[in-house]
Amino acid sequence: MSGTRISATLVIDENRAIACAACGYALGPAGGPWKDAARLDERPMQGAGGAPYSNAERVLLRRFLCPGCGALLDTECALAGDPFLTDIVKV
Amino acid sequence: MDPITFSIIRHRLFRVIDEAVITLKHVSGSAITNEGHDLMVSLYRADGSLLMGGVGFLHHLTSAAEACKAVIRRFEGDIGEGDVFLTNCPYTAALHTSDIYLVAPIHHEGRLVAWSACFVHVYDIGAMVPGGFSPESRDIFTEGFSSPGIRLVEGGTMRRDVMDTLLNMVRAPEMVALDLSSMIAANNVARERMVALIEKYGADPVDRACAALVDQSETLFRKRLRELPDGRWESRQYFDIEGETCKVLLAMTKEGDALTFDFTGSSPQSHHGINCTYWASWGGFFAPLFPLLCYDITWNDGVLRPIRMIAPEGSVVNCTRPAPVSLATVGAIQSVNNAACTCIAKMLSASESYAKEATAVWHGSHFAIFMFGLNQRRQEAIGILTETFGGAGGARTWADGIDVGGEIPNPIGRMANVETTEATFPVRYLFRRATPDTGGPGRWRGGNGIEFALVQHDSPEGGINYVVSGKGTEFSMSEGLGGGYAGAPCAYRWVHNNAAREAGRNVNPYPTSLDAMTGEAETISWGVFPLKGEDALYVRSDGGGGFGDPLEREPARVLADIEAGMVSEGVAASVYGVVTAAGAVDETATRERRKALREARLATPMAAE
Repeated sequence: MSGTRISATLVIDENRAIACAACGYALGPAGGPWKDAARLDERPMQGAGGAPYSNAERVLLRRFLCPGCGALLDTECALAGDPFLTDIVKV
Repeated sequence: MDPITFSIIRHRLFRVIDEAVITLKHVSGSAITNEGHDLMVSLYRADGSLLMGGVGFLHHLTSAAEACKAVIRRFEGDIGEGDVFLTNCPYTAALHTSDIYLVAPIHHEGRLVAWSACFVHVYDIGAMVPGGFSPESRDIFTEGFSSPGIRLVEGGTMRRDVMDTLLNMVRAPEMVALDLSSMIAANNVARERMVALIEKYGADPVDRACAALVDQSETLFRKRLRELPDGRWESRQYFDIEGETCKVLLAMTKEGDALTFDFTGSSPQSHHGINCTYWASWGGFFAPLFPLLCYDITWNDGVLRPIRMIAPEGSVVNCTRPAPVSLATVGAIQSVNNAACTCIAKMLSASESYAKEATAVWHGSHFAIFMFGLNQRRQEAIGILTETFGGAGGARTWADGIDVGGEIPNPIGRMANVETTEATFPVRYLFRRATPDTGGPGRWRGGNGIEFALVQHDSPEGGINYVVSGKGTEFSMSEGLGGGYAGAPCAYRWVHNNAAREAGRNVNPYPTSLDAMTGEAETISWGVFPLKGEDALYVRSDGGGGFGDPLEREPARVLADIEAGMVSEGVAASVYGVVTAAGAVDETATRERRKALREARLATPMAAE
């Protein structure tokens, strides 16, 4: 997928949309937040990466996924109810 | 000035610091200094601003500048040749009371031309708990000796009254005296070499070169910033202390050639000593900024000029006196390090040119365990277990994180050999190794952390005590990047073999894993605990953050990790989608497994729902 890179997994496409770098799925206009337009797999961090992930039950692993191809776009360690982290890149 | 002379002077300044660090290590007698390299030596301009930052713990480079400036303000008109000043007040400049700054003016022909400054984490500072990390302190007044500025050496002569007063307030005064002597020696060498430099090239040329060096750093750093995209990046760090959850929130904004670090929204200051002061936060984000953004730029005041910080007063990142701060370095400062690392890495990731410089977080918890008590020679032994400096590398955008690979804030940190620790403390290691599955999964895996276990050995008192300041047990603190998972959290267990023995059970004296231990393994995370009789202490540190999607990792790399004992077969299948059989990747099963995992992803709800 061509475009202007804004993160390890996202680009700005020719339509000035934030898009998945793997498949080109558009996630919203450039310069804005994009996570609401992604799929979200929110699960306990406990056990998420194997037995040493002995995190407290309340700690969540958020996985933001491309609705087009399932690529993993970003992760967050979060408590329930805490807002998504927002990254805005001006290009 | 001709560029060759400028370069020679610049290089000589580097070497002045190098030689001062070597001197400091030669004189110091503690493992935390010599093995852990919990030290710093840097040079400062006559006004106290940073001229040439050295290696060691990088968050001290800017804080020591504030120490110089505080001494200049306090002793204005009364700063003499051969003086050495001490400050360790966190509300003046220091990070916590244990990290003493000794700052020394450098004169040439009677004129103050520069400063040298250094720090070590001294053997003891007279806090409630030996070693300086004082979990039960609820204010600065119980965290030991603290001075906003005092003259320790006057005109080249030690002020015995001051030295003796200080040593009268600490445990193991002979070791603290050695720590202070090591810093005096380092400052002496820095002064002598600077004076030699000035005498060779002249005071004015050296001064012009120093000014030009600072301007050069500013110019180069602003140019770098202009090459990076504008934007605003957020990161969040949680840490848990005794049922209390603190957050450090950071929004980093880059516009043109300026950066703003805004910690608005971070938790109010805690009654536990994990807070940090304003200048500690300021230094905290420079620790990753220097190596990640200025790896080819001289670390000095020119790098500071494009930076602004917003840190709400009364918060965990800008606490107000008399809030306790004895654990700041492994507390809020470390979280500032981590949060800044993540934001800077995201910014770098947004650039085609600089993406290769991005990294997930290294060694996010910076677990720390101090031990104290009588050793096998009946000497008072106090010190940190240097595994804390072993760390775990965060994954880069092009390579795995390094297993037990150190940390970003201290490029020269390292941990001691098992034998060094066993010679210092009355303990015996049961095992020590990298821990599988602790590095954050990703296309590039985070470095695994370390696990080890100790029992007392040959102790004249039947054992020793240890201090656990264990944040990072509930939360993963080494954030991943670009879809990589955060590293696994820490774990601390007090293994009750004494109780098992009393209950009539046989105690395994040589277990090689936590599972093989006999007694009940009690989870601990904060406070002072005994290591007596047959009881054991088990520690597992956190892993580094991963980078990228684990399903994109080359199956051959996952297989290599399995063979090396760094990743389990279970995680290989469940997280990486790699199925192995008979020591090889099952290509068909792996393809099907990864397809199924991707389909499962596409069945998850939209985030907005």
